[in-house]
Amino acid sequence: MEIQSNQLANAVVLTVSGRMDAENAHQFQKTCEDWIGRGATHLLVDLSGLQYVSSVGLSSFLAVAKVLQSKSGSVILCRLQGLPKQVFELTHLIGLFPVFESMDAALASLP
Amino acid sequence: MVLLTLPAQIDSLKDCCAFVRAGAEASNLAPQDMEKLDLVMEELFVNIARYAYAPEYGEVEVGYTAEAPGRLAVQLSDSGREFNPLASDPPDFSRGLADRPLGGMGIYLVKIIADSIRYQRSGGRNTLSFTFLGETRR
Repeated sequence: MEIQSNQLANAVVLTVSGRMDAENAHQFQKTCEDWIGRGATHLLVDLSGLQYVSSVGLSSFLAVAKVLQSKSGSVILCRLQGLPKQVFELTHLIGLFPVFESMDAALASLP
Repeated sequence: MVLLTLPAQIDSLKDCCAFVRAGAEASNLAPQDMEKLDLVMEELFVNIARYAYAPEYGEVEVGYTAEAPGRLAVQLSDSGREFNPLASDPPDFSRGLADRPLGGMGIYLVKIIADSIRYQRSGGRNTLSFTFLGETRR
């Protein structure tokens, strides 16, 4: 799994690619928590390059979203596809996150 | 059945998935089926690695039979404490973000993706067995 971070004025864009599994999901969560610790309230996650996510990864997304909700922030999912999209749908997590098909639409949704 | 014994720890997950993928290739499963199979294996293997023996050390025996094109039978067995993960309730989907529990999603996914999954406790061992059907067989 690779994670690239890009800080914008009103959000941090995290581009996650590869496989997020029980061995590395904590790295994603740690990256998010570090940004939250530095004051980020909106994390926009570009998932177009994510091939695989297991329940440990889903729990990381959920844990980070809970923290940000309590700070009036959000985890925004962008360009979900393939198996990760199916897994977010099957677990009904998709309804708990703002989800966008394009980065432009996701960026336009930011307060 | 082709068998492999691995340490019941997260570090062995890659070896576990690679081993069962060899069976998937023997069953001519399509590339898009492989990641779904990995997902089922990860959820079941991680469950054993975390709960079967902790905090002690233990092993998992993984086995597969390439039964037919697009059809793979898989089994995981351990001698840890008695635990039937299939008995767990599905997550409560009516709950909002703040109240949604972090756990319970893995076994729920396994029950949806794997076919004919069953649990057996016999001779001091937990055994989970399932059939994985490729998309063309569903």
